[in-house]
Amino acid sequence: MSGGDIASIFQGAAVTITLSLIGILIGLPIGLGLALLRWANVPVIARIVAVYVSMLRATPLVTLLLLLFFALPNIGIPINPISAAITALVMNTSAFNCEVWRAALMNFPKDQYEAAQSVGMRASLRFRRIVLPQILRVSLPGLVNEMSLLIKVTPVLAVVGVVDITRAAVRIGAETYDPLPPFLVAIALYAPIVFALVALQRWIERRQSAAEAAA
Amino acid sequence: MAALNKVLDVAGVSKRFGANEVLSDVSLQVDKGETVCVLGPSGSGKSTLLRCINWLERPDAGQIYLNGQRVGVSGAGIAMSDRDLSKIRTRVGMVFQHFALWPHLTVLQNLMEAPVQVQRRPKAEVRDEALALLEKVGLVEKRDAFPSRLSGGQKQRVGIARALAMRPDLLLFDEPTSALDPELVGEVLVVMRELAHEGMTMVIVTHEMGFAREAATRVLFLDRGRNVESGPPEQFFAKPETERARQFLQRYAGDTANGKH
Amino acid sequence: MIHDFGIVWTERALLLSGLANTTILSVLAAIASLLLGFALTPALMSKHLAVSGTARVFVDGMRCVPFLLFAYIVYYGLPSLGLRWDNWTSGLFALIVYNTAYMAETLRGAWVAQPREPIEAGVAFGFSDLKLFRRIILPPLLLSAGPVIGNQTIQIIKDSAFLTIIALPELTHAASSIQSRHYVPFAAFITAVFLYWGLCLVVEAGVNSVGRLAEARR
Repeated sequence: MSGGDIASIFQGAAVTITLSLIGILIGLPIGLGLALLRWANVPVIARIVAVYVSMLRATPLVTLLLLLFFALPNIGIPINPISAAITALVMNTSAFNCEVWRAALMNFPKDQYEAAQSVGMRASLRFRRIVLPQILRVSLPGLVNEMSLLIKVTPVLAVVGVVDITRAAVRIGAETYDPLPPFLVAIALYAPIVFALVALQRWIERRQSAAEAAA
Repeated sequence: MAALNKVLDVAGVSKRFGANEVLSDVSLQVDKGETVCVLGPSGSGKSTLLRCINWLERPDAGQIYLNGQRVGVSGAGIAMSDRDLSKIRTRVGMVFQHFALWPHLTVLQNLMEAPVQVQRRPKAEVRDEALALLEKVGLVEKRDAFPSRLSGGQKQRVGIARALAMRPDLLLFDEPTSALDPELVGEVLVVMRELAHEGMTMVIVTHEMGFAREAATRVLFLDRGRNVESGPPEQFFAKPETERARQFLQRYAGDTANGKH
Repeated sequence: MIHDFGIVWTERALLLSGLANTTILSVLAAIASLLLGFALTPALMSKHLAVSGTARVFVDGMRCVPFLLFAYIVYYGLPSLGLRWDNWTSGLFALIVYNTAYMAETLRGAWVAQPREPIEAGVAFGFSDLKLFRRIILPPLLLSAGPVIGNQTIQIIKDSAFLTIIALPELTHAASSIQSRHYVPFAAFITAVFLYWGLCLVVEAGVNSVGRLAEARR
């Protein structure tokens, strides 16, 4: 394995990280939106969201990715590997985020909402100033956990030809007939990123439970 | 050899947790049919003493004999095997502060579990006896309920019946009413009083001064791990010998007056 | 479009064998990783630092590695070390070892959260060793860990789809074959999605019934 090979794995890492970040940043608000639709019990739409989320949570990312990549062009929507990858990541992660947000919303104390109403706050202000800051706090560990899960499924994107860490490593393995070294380099790149998120999640949980104990 | 009617003999037991001496040189003898109440402020080592008796804690020094048999140590000072320890423990019933019922078993199953599984007694016989015990504590209609469906007072009555189902020689109570709402304490004390009258041998750690005064045959007062004072309840409550005991009784006098109906 | 589903219908034998393989893989992996997780949990909680440290490194290590990469290493990387397995052995091995780490961590969490007093009551009533574990510790532990074990089983079902990359003939692989043979991508993959969904709903129904049992026995 040459220095150039290692550099190409690092290039793959840049792709992995970029795609993960895009997936996370788009998936967070969409997940919140879906959760709000269910929370507000919008007729019909809430049911549809529930079915959509249940189905996506059961669908392996590979299967979803292959579906998007091959089926969309089939019905006349051209799609390249990168857009298929981002769409699949966002659909996948938003379904999981929806459940995290929804759990926080369902546990939100009703009297606080009523207190905000009683001082004349309007719906959008109530949500922005009273509800959101609190459910964000409660959801944070779950959302960070979901981010680490998202990064762990990104190697699948290689299946449709996205040149991420995994695809770069597979290619080098095939060229050098020694797949173990590039895979180990790939692991050395994934593990710290995921570990940082796992550590972040534990840190947030510890800090929150310490704050609760102090209160 | 111990006298035939001496059920429990605790001889000079000490126990420390790290730098903290929880029990120091505590002795206690209990005859058959006695009800001994162990009193003392929180942290005085009462619960630890109780837990040493059935070897849930290993004392650092001293000996414990149950019906003349050494607990926890066999023959030439070797630690007792789990098998022998288990045999001794089945002869000592224990009632816990937070009930400690097994949540996955129904009330009746809670009573039958140890007699059938540990003592290996015939199921039909154990069942009849368990139902009779539930009758006695007034909960026979709850026999198929799970513990989570019971009130605290009911849980503790099941806890007592479960301990009795082992046909123990000695019954230990670790603050059996401390976790109960005040209005539920009475129903548990009624059962305990009945057992005392029937001549069950019991060691009871409690803060219920009224109960200790009327039901105990003897009182043991612990303070900072030491046996400060012991004697018949009439004497202890009317004329405590030590300053520590006087202060303690003063603090709890209010409780005794208000706590009873 | 209906015509496309007709084509998928003619290939139903292939799809069903894929579904059967996914089910077999997932069930075997779930049971094995649960049992191994049980064996590993005491190591995680061991007082000996060497034992708990080693177990911790394995568990945290697995939790930081993407499953697909791990499966790649087992299938393509281990032959470099002289271990050459077919895709079934490699796939099952990867699924089991990877999920053992998650199961062990899950069980540890449930174990630590168990109230201590009922276990102590078991000791005081003469239970010891295996009997204490089997009759007093295990049943409430399984009831309380039931939902998380169920979630992990769903995760295993989804992880098994990754094994399509080592040509293991599971459900996604079957859908891929149908799509490349007849070029009916939407019908083939959406059918697979529905089958995965059905599988997970079955697991969820199981979890819910355990949850109902647990509710009464809290």
